[in-house]
Amino acid sequence: MKSFEFFAAKDSSDAVTLLAQHAANAKVKIIAGGTDLLADLKFAAHGPDVVVDISHVDDLKNITLTEQGLNIGALVTHTQIMRSPLIRQFFPALVDAAHTIGAVQTRNLGTLGGNLVTAVPSMDSGPTLMALEAIVTIAGNGGRRQVPLNEFFVGPRKTILKPDELLAEIIIPKQNLGKPTHFLKFGLRKGQALALVNVAASFWVDWEKNVFLAPRIGLGAVAPKVIRAPQAEAYLEGRTISAEAMAEAGRVAVGDAKPISDFRASAEYRRHLVAVLTKRALESAWTLAQTRRLEGWNGQRNA
Amino acid sequence: MAEKPKVIEKPDVLERPDILKPQAPAPLVAFPIEVVVPEGRQQTPAVGQRASRADGRLHGLGQTKYIDDMYFPNMLFAKIKRAGIASARIKNIDTKEAEAMPGVVAVITGRDIPCNSFGPSLKDQPVLADTRVFHAGDGVAAVAAVSEQIATEALEKIKVDYEVLTPVLDPLESLKLETPGVHAPSANIYGHKVIKKGDVEKAFAESDHVFEGTFRTQMVEHVPLEPYACIAQWDANGRVTIYSTLGRITLGRADVARTLGIPMSRIRIVATVVGGNFGGKNEIRAEPAMALLSKKTGRPVKCVFTRSEEFTSSTTRHPLIMDYKTGVTKQGKILGRKIRLVLDGGAYCSWSETTLGKACILSAGPYNIENLYAEAFVVYTNKTMTGAMRGFGAPQVCFAYESHMDDIAKALGIDPLEIRLLNAFDEGSLSPTSQKLHSVVVKESLLRAAKRFGWNGIGDGVGNGNGA
Amino acid sequence: MVNVTLRVNGETRSASVPPETTLLRLLRDQFNLTGSKLGCDVGDCGACTVIVDGQPVNSCLMLVGQVEGREVLTIEGLANADHLYPLQKLFEHFGSLQCGFCGPGVIMSAKALLDENPDPSTEEIRDALGGNLCRCTGYTKMIEAIKGASCILRGEEAPLVKSA
Ligand SMILES: Cc1cc2nc3c(=O)[nH]c(=O)nc-3n(C[C@H](O)[C@H](O)[C@H](O)COP(=O)(O)OP(=O)(O)OC[C@H]3O[C@@H](n4cnc5c(N)ncnc54)[C@H](O)[C@@H]3O)c2cc1C
Ligand code: FES
Ligand code: FES
Repeated sequence: MKSFEFFAAKDSSDAVTLLAQHAANAKVKIIAGGTDLLADLKFAAHGPDVVVDISHVDDLKNITLTEQGLNIGALVTHTQIMRSPLIRQFFPALVDAAHTIGAVQTRNLGTLGGNLVTAVPSMDSGPTLMALEAIVTIAGNGGRRQVPLNEFFVGPRKTILKPDELLAEIIIPKQNLGKPTHFLKFGLRKGQALALVNVAASFWVDWEKNVFLAPRIGLGAVAPKVIRAPQAEAYLEGRTISAEAMAEAGRVAVGDAKPISDFRASAEYRRHLVAVLTKRALESAWTLAQTRRLEGWNGQRNA
Repeated sequence: MAEKPKVIEKPDVLERPDILKPQAPAPLVAFPIEVVVPEGRQQTPAVGQRASRADGRLHGLGQTKYIDDMYFPNMLFAKIKRAGIASARIKNIDTKEAEAMPGVVAVITGRDIPCNSFGPSLKDQPVLADTRVFHAGDGVAAVAAVSEQIATEALEKIKVDYEVLTPVLDPLESLKLETPGVHAPSANIYGHKVIKKGDVEKAFAESDHVFEGTFRTQMVEHVPLEPYACIAQWDANGRVTIYSTLGRITLGRADVARTLGIPMSRIRIVATVVGGNFGGKNEIRAEPAMALLSKKTGRPVKCVFTRSEEFTSSTTRHPLIMDYKTGVTKQGKILGRKIRLVLDGGAYCSWSETTLGKACILSAGPYNIENLYAEAFVVYTNKTMTGAMRGFGAPQVCFAYESHMDDIAKALGIDPLEIRLLNAFDEGSLSPTSQKLHSVVVKESLLRAAKRFGWNGIGDGVGNGNGA
Repeated sequence: MVNVTLRVNGETRSASVPPETTLLRLLRDQFNLTGSKLGCDVGDCGACTVIVDGQPVNSCLMLVGQVEGREVLTIEGLANADHLYPLQKLFEHFGSLQCGFCGPGVIMSAKALLDENPDPSTEEIRDALGGNLCRCTGYTKMIEAIKGASCILRGEEAPLVKSA
């Protein structure tokens, strides 16, 4: 690893100050869990001049219910997501997604923010958060701004973050709290494997008409960034819930995906996976919707 | 007469050893380490038992000393510059800037190696490439510095001027006589074996069906959890001590003697506990270069491969391209089989000859085949060298002949178990090289296995019952 | 240079090292605790696993600056002169380690699991070992040893291994 200067931020405002101080005339990198950054820097021909450590920034480690919805601090680790009672209650899909990331050791270090900022198309947090229409809060010297996650990703390993900005929190908007959602990942093995394809499906149910409401599908590893599947969503909107509709939505989603062939899988195989995983994710989300209804959740969209 | 081995009877009821009880009467003492050294020629009831190992205690304590856990006073750390090009001519290597770096103590190139070639059979590997690069993982220079970090940074300061050449990457291309030699003027085919029995062409003519299939396997790295490592220490009397993860130290010593041009009596190789070998640590790698760096600096020098170097610059398992042609009767009895194996040998021979031989001998499978023609070639390509790895070619051909058997069974509509029972070796069968086989239990094993996993015939087409 | 002070196996230790030093290098090169191994340096193999503030982590993926003030437990901190930790004892008994290179990491992962979950199922043990690669022994004997150790730590008799 190339040498660099190291500064540890005490809290998020300290982090922003440190970034502003150094970003003007040096190459700065933030380190959170370090699971992506260090693995990269060990092979990098040119490293950063300055590394700002935010791993001790406690004000970005909270998971709270607010007026806006469910706020997850960017420094929440994958292990914390798996253990959070709030997330377990509202979004078991996020727990499942976190569970598929790396292994215990990497989940203890790796953060949700780091996963999103690294912005590899196969990231496992992406599809569920896209399906849940998450919003991210970005903190910079000039204050905070919010953008939909959809607009946060620019391309492979590229986000809209400026060098002096940090990702502060991820918000799942209030209207989607408890929306039945399911995440599925297909990797070559269970542990320590990146997704060949990962999919999240989410919808509300109109129990009177038995139709899909606000169906949302997130797809990973099939485009330069994590994407939604607009054609499949449009196909499902207002359609009567049935096994055939879910299978057809899977086939339609293939048209939304633009996978490439690489050493992990061929584009053709990835397209096949999109169809199968989308169908299965929809089926499991449907099961979750029914269970929740029986358990007395108000399985309706909160007006 | 040799003493008969003692056999300890397997007790009917296993007694619970103290250690499995919560309040063990014997204290759980970590030290001193008391190891039960097994008596010679003692046969224990091994199958289904959990045999503890003499070194198990130290392993669990984290006290086993592998090479990277050793340190000698004043030790230097070495790194090797890799070519990163599959085939090239080296025009010039400029090490001046690296040598001038603070913390760098010595730099050597291939020209500093007294005799720059070694290998367990053919002596075709350079310690460090001097005039030619034969694969991307070739080392072109080695740096010894006061820290690993400085040594790594110094590699970037070494400027190598290459004339890039067109590499030979496809083994089937390499097999053609008109393809330029990887090690010209030597031919690309550097090993060849034929096993002939009976008359295959006649057998094909008499067969009801003749099936053909081509099978390929990929290159595989051993991935020992401990990457290759060594420490060399040249002493004032002109002797060198090398601590190495090497599995064959006497063979390694001969190669070190050859490359350094000193008698074997001046070389002491200490084999340490190895963190996994699997065939990938059966020949020297950086030992001569480290010995020379130590000689040049008068200090001990350590070199540990990165995980990437373990993939690019150590041996791997041969990829094989295997053509099979088999003539059978309607019932599935094999009358004749013709096989061609092409082994991708990569840039250097290493243990290719052993692999070639074993792959060829085993390529017909454990089946009685009266008429056989098996031919195997190993060729050079500009890729990571292939060498020994568990089975020396046996796993590759097994994949081919068993897949081929399944294909034949499927085409004939026969149970894949049935076709194997029809053809498998019996007690006293002759191997393809006419060795009389004893203790043959192929059929018994197949039947038992089939029973164990509930084999239900041809298979139900949904993934159950595929393969034997 | 950064100055770090942390607790390692119950003792306060300090060092002044370049900021790019990883926790693994700090332990091995500065504190001579060579039990934790470097197998890949990128988080894949788990040979470097140590427990930081109660959680198993890849020490090759932490910078020294990040462990300031933290509590680190390594394989060397499990046994004392009188007692082996039950996991070490049973790993030895069941022959759960062949070359042993993966061992310290595996045992630390298992220790963290048992601290949190005294009676793990096979599935839970597998999940806990998901980040530890072993190329020699495989995982069956390790799982047996971890199960056995969990019994002993709970004050129960460990099961005998059924022979095939
Ligand atoms: C062995 C292994 C297995 C893995 N398996 C998976 C897997 O299965 N699925 C998967 O999705 N990922 C996987 N990963 C990737 C990685 O663990 C995750 O992406 C992790 O969440 C990254 O978080 P981090 O905190 O470690 O990020 P870091 O490495 O600290 O940072 C990553 C990048 O994000 C930037 N950054 C981090 N936090 C912020 C912030 N708050 N604001 C601005 N920039 C920030 C950093 O500057 C850096 O560029 C794996 C990694 C390893 C080492
Ligand atoms: S060395 Fe840290 S995980 Fe392999
Ligand atoms: S015992 Fe060798 S890697 Fe596990």
